[in-house]
Amino acid sequence: MNGITIALSKGRIFEETLPLLAAAGIVPTENPEQSRKLIIGTNRPDVRVVIVRASDTPTYVQYGAADLGIAGKDVLIEHGGAGLYQPLDLKIAKCRMSVAVPVGFDYAAAVRSGARLRVATKYINTAREHFAAKGVHVDLIKLYGSMELAPLVGLADAIVDLVSSGNTLKANNLVAVEDIMPISSRLIVNQAALKMKRELLQPVIDAIAGAVK
Amino acid sequence: MVKPMRRWLLPEAIEDLLPEEAWQVEILRRNLLDDFRRHGYELVAPPLLEYVESLLTGSGRDMDLRTFKLVDQISGRTMGIRADITPQVARIDAHLLNRPGVTRLCYCGSILHTLPAGLLASREPLQIGAEIYGHAGLEADIEVVRLLARTLQRGGLTASRIDLGHVGVFRALAAAAGIDAELEQDFFAALQTKDVPDLIELVAGIAEPLRSAFLALPQCCGGVDALHRARQFLPDLPEISSALDDLQRLAAALGELPLGFDLSDLRGYNYQNGIVFAAYCSNHPGAIAVGGRYDNVTKAFGRSRAATGFSLDLRELARLVERAARPAGVLAPHIGDDVALRQVVEALRERGEIVVEALPGHGEDWAESACDRRLVRHDGDWHIESSTKTIPLPRH
Repeated sequence: MNGITIALSKGRIFEETLPLLAAAGIVPTENPEQSRKLIIGTNRPDVRVVIVRASDTPTYVQYGAADLGIAGKDVLIEHGGAGLYQPLDLKIAKCRMSVAVPVGFDYAAAVRSGARLRVATKYINTAREHFAAKGVHVDLIKLYGSMELAPLVGLADAIVDLVSSGNTLKANNLVAVEDIMPISSRLIVNQAALKMKRELLQPVIDAIAGAVK
Repeated sequence: MVKPMRRWLLPEAIEDLLPEEAWQVEILRRNLLDDFRRHGYELVAPPLLEYVESLLTGSGRDMDLRTFKLVDQISGRTMGIRADITPQVARIDAHLLNRPGVTRLCYCGSILHTLPAGLLASREPLQIGAEIYGHAGLEADIEVVRLLARTLQRGGLTASRIDLGHVGVFRALAAAAGIDAELEQDFFAALQTKDVPDLIELVAGIAEPLRSAFLALPQCCGGVDALHRARQFLPDLPEISSALDDLQRLAAALGELPLGFDLSDLRGYNYQNGIVFAAYCSNHPGAIAVGGRYDNVTKAFGRSRAATGFSLDLRELARLVERAARPAGVLAPHIGDDVALRQVVEALRERGEIVVEALPGHGEDWAESACDRRLVRHDGDWHIESSTKTIPLPRH
């Protein structure tokens, strides 16, 4: 493909990316929330947007199926980032990666060095790295959604998950006890595409960089 | 319950080369090695496995993890299956050939990786490469970059691009900033992925002008303008000036090639020490060939030698280039003791034709034997008959 393909996920990332793309003179012709199309055109005939699942964005860009993509740091850490350039923090879709436990659970006592903890999460690599750095043994349970349920039904002692407002935690009688890292979305670029199509990609990257708040 | 093993199943990222692919790879191998030979590169064939100490000399931890290992029943020592032929060739130059002057070596052989080196990469790449030992000057780098470009072109890649870098620039900055080895790895990882947000965090404790210099490295990427930016934004350290001078001279000497520059590409940083380069092409997500200078590797083999070269995976290259049309053969009847027919067939083979002898009872199927013509006798003379015309053969 000679033009530019941009991989985006529906929802918050798509919405918050629109102004950045507009700064680069790119306006998608359809809204993925209304359209069922997976490939969306833009006002520029040589630029198209592909709609992918958030956790698949790095894979599409890594394989060169898309030249650019926008992915949360949470997703990038799980993916590993191999074969990608990540030149820009877009400062959108901000939240925190945190450890949460049921209200009343003595987390500080549970994670004394050498202890063993059962942790449910979608973010296996992040959780493994975090607890390894603390010297705490964990049994990780991979879940794909509704992590908050796991401690309530005795599946896990704690969860590692994204927290933005904290309302879901509160509604389920959980509390965030430890911040792992702040999360926001990054612009990611396929390595070979940046080399082979620099004239095309660099102006878009620069325009987006200029529009980041 | 463990499912019964499907006997035809190959391990992940391990593949067969089927007839046409295998020929494609083999023809490429011959073409490229012939070309290396015409440039004066001597062929060496190091062993598939050797002691890990020599295999892993001067390489980083990633190479260690990428190497399959086993215990030698004779010595009890750990052997590794080569994951890269370059250190073996360096060992041959430094220790076995022991020549004082310039030595040019080339090689082609299978290597094994525990983990695939890249996306879509095989765990059994067929590594082909060329190395120059004994010349520290830029002339050697110019020769290998030019040979790489020629190799890609002869290999059939129409559009490609070679990006040059120089690990000396980052090394000089890291030394000036007094970065320790552990932090250096973090910098390396951030620069390798042009991860500016992480880089901003890493340089937090570093004083100006080095702080801005680190942040400028990912911007020093692109055409010759990247070198101008580097002169503008990087401090005037002698190592940096000389690295930039080297790159500038390379750019001037190789003006006919599609060159780019990337000062934050630190591939092979663990053992490389000067000019480094990587080739890219369309339809491939990463670098197709890599190379550069590695003057210090040979020291461990008892003799420090200047060294530079490149290598690539022939299987990967073969996948990217258009497959040559399969040459079709001529189907001959079963020869038996027909001496005249045998002579006709031999003569055709001497001319380079593929002649397939039909075995009794299988004579009718041209396509199965990949033939588009057949040998037929008319009035006592042999003719080659295709579906459209008949060509008489000269009499013997």
